[in-house]
Amino acid sequence: MSDKTETELLYEAREKRFNDAVSLKKPDRVPIVSLTNFFLTRYGGITDKEAMYDYSKMREAWLASIKKLDWDFVPGIFTFFPGKVLEIMDSKALKWAGHGLGENILYQYIDKEYMLADEYDEFLDDPNGFVVTKFLPRVCGIFKPLGELLPIPWLASGYTAPVLGATLAGLPHYAEMMEKLIEAGKEMTAYNIHQAQLVQDAKEMGYPMTAGSYSVAPFDSISDFFRGLNGTMLDIYRRPDKLKAAVDYVAPHVTQFAINYAAMTGNPRVVIPLHRGSGAFMSDEQFAEFYWPGLKRLLLDLIDAGLTPIPFFEGDMTPRLKYLAQLPPGKVAGHFDIVDKKKFKEILGDKMVFWGDVPGSLLVTGKPQQIKDYVKALIDMFADTGGLIIDGAVEGVPPESKPENVEAMTEAVREYGVYQ
Amino acid sequence: MLQKLTTAITEMNEKEAVAIAEKLLNNGTEPLEVIEACQKAMEVIGRRFSAGECFIPELILAGDMMKQISEKAEPHLKQDVAVKKHGRVIIATVEGDIHDIGKNIVVSMLDANGFDVLDLGVDVPVAKIVETAKEFKPSVVGLSGLLTLAFDPMKAVVAALEEEGLRKNIKVMIGGGMIDEQVRQYTGADTFGANAMDAVIFAKKWTGGKQNVG
Ligand code: B12
Repeated sequence: MSDKTETELLYEAREKRFNDAVSLKKPDRVPIVSLTNFFLTRYGGITDKEAMYDYSKMREAWLASIKKLDWDFVPGIFTFFPGKVLEIMDSKALKWAGHGLGENILYQYIDKEYMLADEYDEFLDDPNGFVVTKFLPRVCGIFKPLGELLPIPWLASGYTAPVLGATLAGLPHYAEMMEKLIEAGKEMTAYNIHQAQLVQDAKEMGYPMTAGSYSVAPFDSISDFFRGLNGTMLDIYRRPDKLKAAVDYVAPHVTQFAINYAAMTGNPRVVIPLHRGSGAFMSDEQFAEFYWPGLKRLLLDLIDAGLTPIPFFEGDMTPRLKYLAQLPPGKVAGHFDIVDKKKFKEILGDKMVFWGDVPGSLLVTGKPQQIKDYVKALIDMFADTGGLIIDGAVEGVPPESKPENVEAMTEAVREYGVYQ
Repeated sequence: MLQKLTTAITEMNEKEAVAIAEKLLNNGTEPLEVIEACQKAMEVIGRRFSAGECFIPELILAGDMMKQISEKAEPHLKQDVAVKKHGRVIIATVEGDIHDIGKNIVVSMLDANGFDVLDLGVDVPVAKIVETAKEFKPSVVGLSGLLTLAFDPMKAVVAALEEEGLRKNIKVMIGGGMIDEQVRQYTGADTFGANAMDAVIFAKKWTGGKQNVG
């Protein structure tokens, strides 16, 4: 007789189900683990705006939906930003519900060159200085005063540091910046308390969180956040060496960030949304030269650190499957958007779990029976290895999904997904 | 020399392409011929893109070369010579969606392929698209959207065009990250495109024969 409670046993069984599928051992049943966000809050009866502004409503809606759907894991909450914090920080790169967008609209990121083409040298010479004095003021209005900071070594004198620091702090616009930061900090703490509570509540209900850490591919870090799509795509031709140098610079940092974050949450699963490396974006040669080295290193380093990377392969990954075959088998929980499943079986069938794939278009506009058929076909296809986890393609379940379709996806797993 | 210009663009030799174009223009070559040489290159690149032989970096770079050269040609153009256009197209990212990268590539490809394109921008309300369609009288309306929230506004645009009796003369194409046949059926659009070249192919098909002088 075990002295574990029933929920503890449930928690372990759910985690084992997932881990078995990832390591390509047949679990008792096909796991259903989704990476969704605003679907859960809408399903729980609140608007996107409420979800971003009322933290306790958000947590209650989340848990109510989890209870109803009874998936194996509870989706992580990284993709939620507290609206009030975005307001105080004066985010320039995002638009969100009630702030440039309607009440029930997913927040959106403005893809732009937050670092200009002729700023590579400045970034590479002094990345921290560049980020503090140039980048941050561009993405958050409150950091505008940082743009006036002289080069940091200017402060570095044991004689003058105390008074110079205090002089800065006394300037009205710096003082205002710091007051706002304190306000944002309080708001963020209030939000974090709710998030921690959510993790705790889920645990008490017997559900592990899908992920406890986050990272990005080094190329995406430069492309998504610094140079934008247009910028990086032109850089591939106009300044390939600088682009590569910037990507190389961030590589060890994206790994370390993910490791630290996982240590903080105690959850070994690291979500990594992947953007510009898919088949539609670049050629195989460009992928091999600019994208894959950094991604491969990130994935291997995370595995070495005892973590389970969850790369979200957004877009069509079919042409890249041969690269993924270089990764150690059963260690990477690959989440897929669009992929030729026959080729996947051929190239990765005995190496990587197949997770995701149920099309967002179907979840939003289709009928429950179509979803059930789709899921059944997936289960039939992967039943031989057990390397399958059900979810919507990539982001998981889109916010606009019809509730009955998501319920059908969930039922299908229980109906067809029990291994003999 | 014109052939060399076309090749420089298709081979992604940016500096060479711009230098040749400059030389041609300064030597008194008809600016329209220079632009045509660029368009020829864009057609080749478009074909390669559709065949999976080149990708987004090449589309964006080629579009940028074309833009640089067109700007240089502009002052040389005689006032009374109008560039012949294939037909009129309206492009918009629908309401609620602020993504413009994909839409911009579509616009630049249509433009490079000789269409008279009116770009309404992002987050464009249904009524604005319909009103503009009445005035501009396009043969094709192209709707872009990256997120699933774009499906309903797309459907609403098709319905509104129908209601206004405009669907007889206007074909609707949709595209963007999550768009597929399932979504086409849902919205009632005539077709969906997976990439910017699809937009050119459909627009050509639908405007075939008709040449508006812009
Ligand atoms: C890059 C990317 C990002 C970047 C930049 C996004 C931006 N603001 O531009 C960043 C990192 C910021 C990002 C963030 C997020 N993203 Co994102 N992202 C992508 C990704 C990988 C590529 C989009 C892109 O730039 N494509 C490149 C352009 C060139 O392609 P395109 O727009 O599709 O256009 C081409 C064709 O579609 C076509 N086309 C376009 N319009 C038209 C029109 C016509 C008429 C025709 C014929 C053709 C056509 O031609 C174009 C050129 O060939 C997609 C996945 C995907 N594969 O699409 C997800 C995706 C759009 N993101 C998604 C999500 C969920 C998010 C986030 C919410 C993630 C999160 N939870 O925080 C956030 C915030 C939302 C946002 N997008 O702002 C989801 C959206 C799901 C949904 N429910 O709608 C997607 C679809 C991934 C997925 N499958 O889950 N994302």
